[in-house]
Amino acid sequence: MVSMSGEVATCKSEATVVTDHFPVGLRVLVVDDDVVCLRIIEQMLRRCKYSVTTCTQAMVALNLLREKRGTFDIVLSDVHMPDMDGFKLLELVGLEMDLPVIMMSGDGRTNLVMRGVQHGACDYLIKPIRDEELKNIWQHVVRKRYNSSKEPECSGSLDDNDRYRRRSDDAECASSVIEGADGVLKPQKKKREAKEDDTEMENDDPSTTKKPRVVWSVELHQQFVSAVNQLGIDKAVPKRILELMNVPGLTRENVASHLQENQKFRLYLKRLSGVVQQQGGLPSTFCGPIEQNSELGSLGRFDIQALAASGQIPPETLTALHAELLGRSTSNLVLPAVEQQNLVQVSLQQAKCIPVDQVMAYGQPLLKCPASISNSKHLSQAILSAEDVHSGFGSQRAKNICMSGPPEVNRSINVQPSCLVLPSQLPGHFQVGDSPASISRAGSLSKSSVIDYGVLSPQSNNSSGVVQVLDRELKPECGLNRLPSGGSLSRSCSINADNSVDLQLHNSSSAFGSSKQLPGLIPSHLGSPVPYCINSSLVLDQGRMKGASIPSRFAVDESDSPMCNFNTAKIYLEETKVKQEPNMNVMENAKVGPAIFQKFQPGDLMSVFSD
Amino acid sequence: MLGLGVERLRADMNRLLALLFHQGVLDEQFLQLQQLQDESSPNFVSEVVNIYFQESEKLLRNLRSLLMDRELSDYKKMGVHLNQFIGSSSSIGAKRVRNVCVAFRVASEQNNRLGCLRALELLEHEYCYLKNKLHELFQIEQQRLLAAAVRYPVQH
Repeated sequence: MVSMSGEVATCKSEATVVTDHFPVGLRVLVVDDDVVCLRIIEQMLRRCKYSVTTCTQAMVALNLLREKRGTFDIVLSDVHMPDMDGFKLLELVGLEMDLPVIMMSGDGRTNLVMRGVQHGACDYLIKPIRDEELKNIWQHVVRKRYNSSKEPECSGSLDDNDRYRRRSDDAECASSVIEGADGVLKPQKKKREAKEDDTEMENDDPSTTKKPRVVWSVELHQQFVSAVNQLGIDKAVPKRILELMNVPGLTRENVASHLQENQKFRLYLKRLSGVVQQQGGLPSTFCGPIEQNSELGSLGRFDIQALAASGQIPPETLTALHAELLGRSTSNLVLPAVEQQNLVQVSLQQAKCIPVDQVMAYGQPLLKCPASISNSKHLSQAILSAEDVHSGFGSQRAKNICMSGPPEVNRSINVQPSCLVLPSQLPGHFQVGDSPASISRAGSLSKSSVIDYGVLSPQSNNSSGVVQVLDRELKPECGLNRLPSGGSLSRSCSINADNSVDLQLHNSSSAFGSSKQLPGLIPSHLGSPVPYCINSSLVLDQGRMKGASIPSRFAVDESDSPMCNFNTAKIYLEETKVKQEPNMNVMENAKVGPAIFQKFQPGDLMSVFSD
Repeated sequence: MLGLGVERLRADMNRLLALLFHQGVLDEQFLQLQQLQDESSPNFVSEVVNIYFQESEKLLRNLRSLLMDRELSDYKKMGVHLNQFIGSSSSIGAKRVRNVCVAFRVASEQNNRLGCLRALELLEHEYCYLKNKLHELFQIEQQRLLAAAVRYPVQH
């Protein structure tokens, strides 16, 4: 607070720097058996300030991608490789990692490029590759994130639509039908089928005769789902699914493409199954989750999501609804011991929605007690009681669930980012300067990141270290150790944290923070755990520690008046909840946003650090 | 005197490059390669070109042995090699080598053995020419750097 005015500028410039430099550090994996090209592309990418990993063998690349999930943003792959066809790699990466893949080849003949496109390449570069082309590849990363944050809505509604359509179609095609011709297909469907057809074509010679199309009827889909469940969602590979389904005429490609289409759905299932399994103690019967999914699907995905997507519901409301929706059924949740892969992807979404959540959860108390210290006390009490009282638990759990909840939630963020975060919203998706980040910074009771760890920690195996650190530091609440969920643990830590604890955490954070990343990115780290969550566990740890995000709390203490404003705005948002004037609300935020934003200076945070 | 040497060597280099461009041996991709050379990788061009030479010679050997197998030439494999050759040649801006490779690939796709043999000979010729010229270029570059390095104490 001392040198506030000076730091306003710092913060501002920092924020813009972060967004200006967005593609810097984009993590690119280049796979090419031709070392000449590999070296040149590597150098070009370095010139773009991307972080480059090169690899001469497709198999090695694939293993790298599998082992270090989430450590790459984009893949560049050659088409002709001796150990594995580039298209095969493309397909596998698309199926398993859902990363944008750019194909490269010296051979730019149309049929080859077509194959690339059909396999899902987001771009096809013809050698010689020029640096102008590489400068722009970040757009695919952004587009993918942007789309995938929307996609759940799309695919969700598409799924549902399909289901509905299929139901209505059922009269016509009663059971699982393998059609030879597309005459019967409705226009919408036709489009879909065409796509499927394309994906089939790639696997064989395009010149071969038309293959029968598979219509994924309800029954067939159910078979598919039960096969997936039987296998375990993680082990469900097309081949095994096909074996289990045992449907004549169905090919591996059909299953693969269906699986691909249902990737989001699959993630969703995964998460839900984790939740329900833990909650109800159901072993691995997956029917529970499925049912639940369809239930929630209709509610969560369809109606609310659709509204949110159209911008009619402010994200807070959406989150609240989700919390309610999910909280009810899963009040007794123990954090799912989800496997890491799931995690990584989930965490991306979690991270995004946390801030919103945050505002919703803590906004009110903050408003009530403007004085900084009483703020934190009040908060900690509030939360503590929440810990103690079981009913209180419910709401907290609900938040957890909400965070690990349906992927759609992040779509809501799409509605909101532009308003709060001045920098463009795209970069936010990538790494830094995320708009939710700034929200949480603004709302900056933001235990957001801490909560995040909590949620995350059970997921990564070696997260125990972090939790331990937190435990140790937060002795006052050592009773917490008994709490089953890491989430509540760390959360209560952070909430509990008053100044002294904060300082301790600071120490730890400075100890753990990776020196490389700290300087430039601090502001975003505070608010946005996103990049770290995406990364492998190691990076996660860093993210956690750094993200201890205490600094922002200090910032709150120091400048509570704007906070109040902000929260008023937020609460206003909350109260108006439904529809009406979403845009107005958004505008409101936009106005308040900058002012608050400036108050939370990296400098402040830094001074805290130096304290 | 030495300073003049630097200038002269620079002019020599430019003249050679202009010649190679004029002949169509190199294209602007080679310039891009030069632009990629910076403090972090001061020998980038020669490094890449040397890798290219190694790889190309491997490819040429393979192509020749594939073609020499009179009975069953594996044209498909030849195509794979040629694709790589095309990719790497175009990446360093070896335009004429690349063009010959493309012609070679067409011949191999048509299982045209005679065409392949002719193309291979032409390819070897073009490759040798390129290699010699690039070596010449790098030699001048080396001399220029040496001369430039010598100049500083003289100026004192």
